[in-house]
Amino acid sequence: MPSLSRELYKYPLYLIFHPFNGFWELKYERSRKLNLIISFSILFLLIVMKITQTQYSGFVVRIVYPDSINSFMECLYVVVPVLFWCIANWSLTTLMDGEGKFVDIFTSTCFALVPLLIIQLPWIGLSNLISLEEASFYHFFNSVSVMWCAYLLFVGNMTVQQYSPSKTIGTILLTVAAMAFMAFLCLLFFSLIQQMVAFVQVIHQEIVLRR
Amino acid sequence: MKIQKKLSLLLALSFLLGLSAGGNKVMAADGAESYNYSYWGLTTAAPAAYQANGLWNGESTGAGAFKEPGDFHVTGDKQIYVLDSGHNRIVVLDEKLQPVQTIRSFARDGKEETFNNPQGLFVTDSKELVVADTGNKRIVQLDRNNKLVKVIDAPKSDLLSEKFDFQPVRVVVDKAQRIYVMSAGVYDGFMEFSPDGTFTSFVGANRVSFNPTDYLWKMLSTKAQRSQMVMFTPTEFTNLDIDQEGFIYATNGQDSGNVKKLNAQGNDILRRNGYFAPEGDIRYMSATGPSRLIDIDVGDSEMYSILDGKRGRVFTYDGDGHLLYVFGGLGNQMGQFNTPVAIERLGDEFLVLDKALGEITVFETTEYGRTLNEAVRAYYNGDENKAYELYQETISMNANLEFAYAGIGKALLRQGDYREAMKYFKKSMDQKGYSKAFLLYRKEVLREYFPGIMTGMVLLIICWFGVGKYRKRRGGKKVAFIKQRAV
Repeated sequence: MPSLSRELYKYPLYLIFHPFNGFWELKYERSRKLNLIISFSILFLLIVMKITQTQYSGFVVRIVYPDSINSFMECLYVVVPVLFWCIANWSLTTLMDGEGKFVDIFTSTCFALVPLLIIQLPWIGLSNLISLEEASFYHFFNSVSVMWCAYLLFVGNMTVQQYSPSKTIGTILLTVAAMAFMAFLCLLFFSLIQQMVAFVQVIHQEIVLRR
Repeated sequence: MKIQKKLSLLLALSFLLGLSAGGNKVMAADGAESYNYSYWGLTTAAPAAYQANGLWNGESTGAGAFKEPGDFHVTGDKQIYVLDSGHNRIVVLDEKLQPVQTIRSFARDGKEETFNNPQGLFVTDSKELVVADTGNKRIVQLDRNNKLVKVIDAPKSDLLSEKFDFQPVRVVVDKAQRIYVMSAGVYDGFMEFSPDGTFTSFVGANRVSFNPTDYLWKMLSTKAQRSQMVMFTPTEFTNLDIDQEGFIYATNGQDSGNVKKLNAQGNDILRRNGYFAPEGDIRYMSATGPSRLIDIDVGDSEMYSILDGKRGRVFTYDGDGHLLYVFGGLGNQMGQFNTPVAIERLGDEFLVLDKALGEITVFETTEYGRTLNEAVRAYYNGDENKAYELYQETISMNANLEFAYAGIGKALLRQGDYREAMKYFKKSMDQKGYSKAFLLYRKEVLREYFPGIMTGMVLLIICWFGVGKYRKRRGGKKVAFIKQRAV
């Protein structure tokens, strides 16, 4: 039995280089508990990375309006898309004969985000040591990390759901559409609640002032 | 009773609110307020750079009341030529705004001729007066003794249609005596006349700008419908001025890209390196809309000012396009206007001509404005040390003036203090400058610590190999990761 701490970082690294084997093991061979622990740590690290990125990125690659820095919002920017993706994907794939459970989808999604972490995190520091001309390297590596991440999402989805590649691409496109739809519903919900609250508030005010 | 009590309370409350709002207003040291735009597009408080200190109308200058003056011009020797359009005369004032002479007519072929509602005038360095005699559809050029040099009537050319209506409203003359005319209803740019008065060509037409929805409708409509619609035509220019080097500065009625600097080919060569393109106000209520520029005046050191007719404000920019200061406004107070039509510089002072009131407001620099002007001049002339000091002084009066930090940064860069320069460039959000300073700083640091860094790296490599060898000899188990997989 390899030590837990070793497993925590070695396995995600193995997975991103060998996605087909890695995701297969993730679904069928690995302990679910450990997977979840690793997934949540990845999410946590992503949040930390996002916050450090807005705060400590070099001046030549990023100028942030100081008043707009909000760590809580940074958390949301990481968690909400992942959650939306998982829920949308799960809702679709259960209807489309996917074999993945929600846990599988969640863990595979989190594991697929590792390239963002291992490429963008060091570049936060490096971006302080580059000039404007060298900033293209920064942007290049950031795009590489995003593309790698997209590829892993694709492979992860395919393996977890046991889909053909074309069906996976179709599902992913549908998932994105479903995410947009969910965002719309959320907005609708919040604005309705807001109106209701305002309505009650106005009635209350009216009663109080009439007295 | 109760209601009355509530009402009085409400009144008191609103009064209190009003008071607190007034108290929060940021005031400059001298009590005047002005503003500038930050890198983030926010309005930041700035001390006033100019202050109105004189208001002159026709009577107070002693030349008789002005009636709807349309334009004026200040010559190199500080004489002010006011075009009193309503009275069809030109009043020449000296720098103290005392009358020198009045030009009402000129002799042409022995006959006395007058102007008819002239709208624009220009005075060359040799003090030749050029008047856009709009009502008579001609340009009149007089020499310094008011003798007629030439009259340019409506030109005939292949470039012009048969029905062409020549209505000159503004005019400038370059060093080579070419005359550039802005004619009402002409969309092809300025009309260029050679020194002998023949029409040569159009220069610097504005680009056609249109709204996508209008375009869609036009695509969908039939030919008959289309003929009824408004044509997409380039916007007309609204005014022009010429600088010492012969470049024409022009304003037009567009929402953006409304300031242009035209070279001889008519290409726009205005530098727009400021945080925002020079176009007047960048923050405005959507109901009132963006600035409508109606005049431009070029000063020395590539500084230029534009006049916003909508809100009566004067915006001054440096040659790189940084907004230096804003003053003026519409209103009834001193330093505000009713219908401003033209701005001119009288040395470091500003003159603003009000058409409806027939008044000239004189603006004088404050200490802040003076320092800033001098700083921009020093920077333009390449005197970086002087610019450095003046910018420092400016910043001590207005810490919000972000571009000034870049000026300091550039001076520090020249002096070799790269680390400080980086700080200043960062303050002015100048990535290019920062990057330049950073590269030099990095080189400096690396050179200093090069031996240490190299030794460290070599030691690390040796250690790496050493540990590997040691492990091998011990026969330490380096089991491949694959084998460790839990099943």
